[in-house]
Amino acid sequence: MRPIRLLVPIVMLCVVPGSARAHEFWLSPSTYRPAAGEVVSVSMIVGTGFRGEVKPYAAPRTVRFVMRGARESDMSALSTNGDPVSARFRVAGGDGQLLAYESNFASIELGAHDFDAYLKLEGLDEVLAARARPGAAEGPGRERYARCPKTWIGSGQAERATAPVGLTMEIVPLADPAAVASLPVRVLFHGQPLVGALVRAWNRPLAGVSPVDPAARDSLGPLVQVRTDVHGEARLAVGRAGEWMVSAVHMEPSTDPAAADWQSWWASLTFARVAER
Amino acid sequence: MKRALVLLALLLARPASAHDQPYSYLDLRLGGAAIEGRVAAHVIDLAHESGLDADSLRDAGYLAREHGRVEGVFLRLMDVTAGGRRIRARPLRLEPVPDRKLVAMDFTAPASSSPIVARGPLFGYDPAHETYFNVFVDGKIRVQDLLTVDHRLSVYDVAAGVSIPAVVSRFLVEGVKHIFQGPDHIAFVVGLLLLGGGLRRLLKIVTAFTAAHSISLAAATLGLLQPPSRLVEPAIALSIVCIGIENLRHRPGMRDRRALLAFCFGLVHGFGFASVLRETGLPSGALGWSLASFNLGVEMGQAAIVLSLAPALAWVRSASARASWRVAFAGSWVIVCAGGYWFAERLLVR
Repeated sequence: MRPIRLLVPIVMLCVVPGSARAHEFWLSPSTYRPAAGEVVSVSMIVGTGFRGEVKPYAAPRTVRFVMRGARESDMSALSTNGDPVSARFRVAGGDGQLLAYESNFASIELGAHDFDAYLKLEGLDEVLAARARPGAAEGPGRERYARCPKTWIGSGQAERATAPVGLTMEIVPLADPAAVASLPVRVLFHGQPLVGALVRAWNRPLAGVSPVDPAARDSLGPLVQVRTDVHGEARLAVGRAGEWMVSAVHMEPSTDPAAADWQSWWASLTFARVAER
Repeated sequence: MKRALVLLALLLARPASAHDQPYSYLDLRLGGAAIEGRVAAHVIDLAHESGLDADSLRDAGYLAREHGRVEGVFLRLMDVTAGGRRIRARPLRLEPVPDRKLVAMDFTAPASSSPIVARGPLFGYDPAHETYFNVFVDGKIRVQDLLTVDHRLSVYDVAAGVSIPAVVSRFLVEGVKHIFQGPDHIAFVVGLLLLGGGLRRLLKIVTAFTAAHSISLAAATLGLLQPPSRLVEPAIALSIVCIGIENLRHRPGMRDRRALLAFCFGLVHGFGFASVLRETGLPSGALGWSLASFNLGVEMGQAAIVLSLAPALAWVRSASARASWRVAFAGSWVIVCAGGYWFAERLLVR
């Protein structure tokens, strides 16, 4: 056996847990400020702190992929399996456009230590406590996860952003995200406010120092971390200019124990703000 | 030793950007005379399998020098069967995909009417690997699948996947196009009409031609009789000469043999239609539909010629018998010359 064949499983032991932790999933448009008539392309990216890799569009994974502009469009009908650009559309006017995507479940299995570390990192304290209880299942974390990202492109016609789309889990801004420095959000799960969810927000400058290629960027830490209140709401300080990604995760025992022990939903919302005067 | 490997693993641990989302592509295009395919994979995965340098694989020159090893990897990992047998893929082109860390190989394989089964993912040892599997039929996407460790099999039933309305419309158009794109068939039909005649006679002539070419077209398409095109094409040209000569030698009171000639030469023209139909690419799952709709398209093309020319010739004849004779005489000579030219061209050039 060639030496490289011996090394590969070892390398993968290093890489796969790394990828398991690289789990934020967000929609990244080619521009947040399109001119009327401009074609905008939107990619899906998986990674951490704005550093990541483009995830090609996967038709079999898609539960819903819609754009809400002057009218609501089904983007899944226009997307092709494997295309690194998940959506392309021409902007009709200057008002805001909301894109929302939901995937079905994909499975992952992590070693007990890695799984607990990841639960801690994501603030999933209840799950962590459940695993620590006497008699709880020990061993690897068998999880299945779904993704629910949204992106707000442009500004104006705020109701397109503030009205829920109906994703299983979603972060709903309660104001035009591009227009306010203190953004109230409501986290919904099955249409109901999600209490105590950890909401985090990252920011990166759009011009100059931050590479366009997400794989070439440095991973950033979150600027905001706050838990939702009894109404499922949180207020985020997003006054800084640049691209913002707001993310929250919810995990609960799996309804299909044969497939996984836990099931989770990953919601995100990306938008951009221009500099404050 | 274990400690050394663990240490090595830690040293090799990479930042998240290296290749955390491993995926590959497998596209199959059906509907033509052969399966056209494209398989693509990340340079890191290919480097691992081939022992080549990952970064160098993005260089077209390096790739050209090492094409045998890379193609070998693709052919070994690509598990596509038709009717239970692995397809015999023949590499056509190998290239780095611009702006992406992928290498793609285009290939061709014999067409099959049996269900196509793709197994994956391509790099099955990697639990995170996903292969995007797409099947296109006549340019339209029919299968969009994702082969993963949890979903290793994708089946496309060629026969079931063929849309009958799509086949009918496609071959109907092909039939009409063939009549109007090939001047030899137009010349032959015009030659049959030049001497004119009543509606019943013209109907008899056209029906004879239709019946004959339908028989030979079906026979050739079903593989019962397939004379080589080096014989069929000159014979079609000769049929045009013959119909022109028949018109020129015809005198009032002589027996009208056009229906007989239309039937005999119609058999030859049918073999010509069949070769065009084969080149178009027959969907084996809907052979009957494609054959019938192509034939119908041919009839529609012929009907358009008859319906536009016959009334005009009838009008000339009603206006002046002499003018009608002159049109038939001149037209027949044009047809004889054109047929002769095509005959010589097809005999000499082929």
